[in-house]
Amino acid sequence: METAKHGTAPGLAGGLRSFLGGRWVVIFLVLEIVYFSFTSKGFADFNSVQILLFYGTQVFLLAVAELFVIITGGIDLSVGYILGFASIVSIKIVNALVVAGLPVPAAIALGAVATLIVGLVPGLVNGWLVAWLKVPPFIATFSMLGVCHGVSELVINGVYALGMPQMAADIGNGYILYKAPHLPFVFFTPPQVARRTPVLELIPNIVIVAAIVIAIFAFVLARTRFGRHIYALGGSMDAAVRAGIPTKRRILQVYALSSFLASLAGVTYSFMYVSGKADAGASLLLDAIAAVMIGGASMFGGSGTVGRTMIGALILAVLDLGLRMAGVPTFNKYILVGVILVLAVIVERYLPEAQLSISEERK
Amino acid sequence: MKKSPFILAILMIALVAMPGFSQAKLKVLFMPGVADPFYFTMEKGIRAAAAKAGVDLSVAEYPKAWGPEYQVPILQAAVARQRPDLLLIAPTSTDALKAPLKAIYDKGTEIITVDTFIGDGDYSKASDYSFPLSYIGSDNELGGRQMAEHLAKLVGETGKVFCEATNPDASSVQGRVKGFTAGVAEYPNMTLAGVEWCQDVQQKAQEQTLAALQKNKDIVGIFGTNVFSAQGAYQAVVNAGLTGAVKICSWDATLELIGALKKGQVDLVLAQKPGEMGSLAIEWGVKYLKDNSVQVPKKIIPGFEFFTRENVNDPAMQQFIYQ
Repeated sequence: METAKHGTAPGLAGGLRSFLGGRWVVIFLVLEIVYFSFTSKGFADFNSVQILLFYGTQVFLLAVAELFVIITGGIDLSVGYILGFASIVSIKIVNALVVAGLPVPAAIALGAVATLIVGLVPGLVNGWLVAWLKVPPFIATFSMLGVCHGVSELVINGVYALGMPQMAADIGNGYILYKAPHLPFVFFTPPQVARRTPVLELIPNIVIVAAIVIAIFAFVLARTRFGRHIYALGGSMDAAVRAGIPTKRRILQVYALSSFLASLAGVTYSFMYVSGKADAGASLLLDAIAAVMIGGASMFGGSGTVGRTMIGALILAVLDLGLRMAGVPTFNKYILVGVILVLAVIVERYLPEAQLSISEERK
Repeated sequence: MKKSPFILAILMIALVAMPGFSQAKLKVLFMPGVADPFYFTMEKGIRAAAAKAGVDLSVAEYPKAWGPEYQVPILQAAVARQRPDLLLIAPTSTDALKAPLKAIYDKGTEIITVDTFIGDGDYSKASDYSFPLSYIGSDNELGGRQMAEHLAKLVGETGKVFCEATNPDASSVQGRVKGFTAGVAEYPNMTLAGVEWCQDVQQKAQEQTLAALQKNKDIVGIFGTNVFSAQGAYQAVVNAGLTGAVKICSWDATLELIGALKKGQVDLVLAQKPGEMGSLAIEWGVKYLKDNSVQVPKKIIPGFEFFTRENVNDPAMQQFIYQ
């Protein structure tokens, strides 16, 4: 999208370089998919795509959260434990509302919304620490990681939050569309058919929610003044201040958004697994950061897009599922992710066209 | 420009997708709960029985940690790959596994839960989790109760005891703690000083036990409810220099715990029969798949063996050690 207009390096080699620079992640993803389609039994199937997106949801959301922060030149280490915190809070609130006599659907909806509001708090604190008190993002969010972990464990006494109504599981594990043979398409409710009837299930509910939210964030980043401010902040803080951008407020907002996305991921967790625990997202932080890096964003800020970050996240998700379906232990994934990450940084350095960002395009 | 690779990728998948052909050989999938010696031993039992029955067995990747977020994605990938006729699974959560397993069942796979179960484990009465063929595992509540009796004997039926447990949403552990609590309550001079949950992290079990020993200096006995909690608990007692003074009953006969028993660091080891659970699951599952009119018992309980210092070197007992 942004690549075509830049034609700086002349000649065939330069053309190839600029072509690869802009697209290598996409090419890599396609190669990966082709490879697993031939080597992993059952991988090349629509069902696999749905599994991949469904179990990747939390990483997708956390990757977008991380991207916003990384564009400003910061980092948010707390997202994994904010996810865990939100998974617990959502169950506690929904349970309390059910006990208070609210009908289950209302309790679930209200509980989810309330969780997203509560989930803003860690981000607001992070943002305040970074913007006003000048605490380095690494330290501020690392501390928040600890606080969220501790508070979560206190709320649940070091065990699990349980007792989410069955309806939440039905939503969390349900699909938008169902189609049974000889029956019309139905929304949201699985058709009552005999066992073994092949029912076509289309798009998990959670995936659609995540996709809509991510699309909104992509729009905000690419097309609004707010998005341009964020790139400007990461590009040069001094320039941003001179340009009259309310830098402190923007940083606060970015950390709040990050926290919001992590909380949304936490709500999806509690709907999928009808349980909540402090370390529910602990293992996802590194995947989220890796997705942003593979997507070509610079750790120093100022670059990166939602689309490329999603491709980075997809590369990881395809790797996970592909290896599993090939029957290869996913420990191999760690090695591959490490290699891909280094590759991403090298490509970014030597193929200048890879460093594209909206901000540069608009200069 | 940016969207086209996505569409391309999806198109390619659609193109390459081929309809699966059903094979004559029955396909069986084993989905363990977590990487530990208990499930490794179960796998051995399953492999032996599967070879005997002539079924096509695959074993899913062992989850690195205990929890639905680790187990369910592996399960889904393995099911999508193999489309098994029979699934043997140790569900890592009584609640979280209901929906995914129901979906797999609806597509035509028969399910037997081994070691742990979903819901309350009673598949004999109709409910939203009564679809598995059977639960094959220990009577954990009975085991917990028997542990309380053994521990009571070891400590002379008086004093404070402590329970180091693992995961409160795993059915097996819930049963053990419940049985142990009820068992201790039957001795008027004994009290339960506390229950801690290490969530299958041995280091955590060690720290929690150490803290409990600090807080209650008069603890005379400890029950460790599985591999990790028992191993962490006895190490804490060893480190505190209380070996012998604090009696330890541990659940699960790993080589490490049997070794500790021989050294006098542990006083009693309960062995479940994971191998037998696995082979029974294959036998009943295959029997049912070959003839759907077979009545599979909804609960199959292989029983326990108890290792003490007296019988630990007994040749007949060696088969019950997990390895």
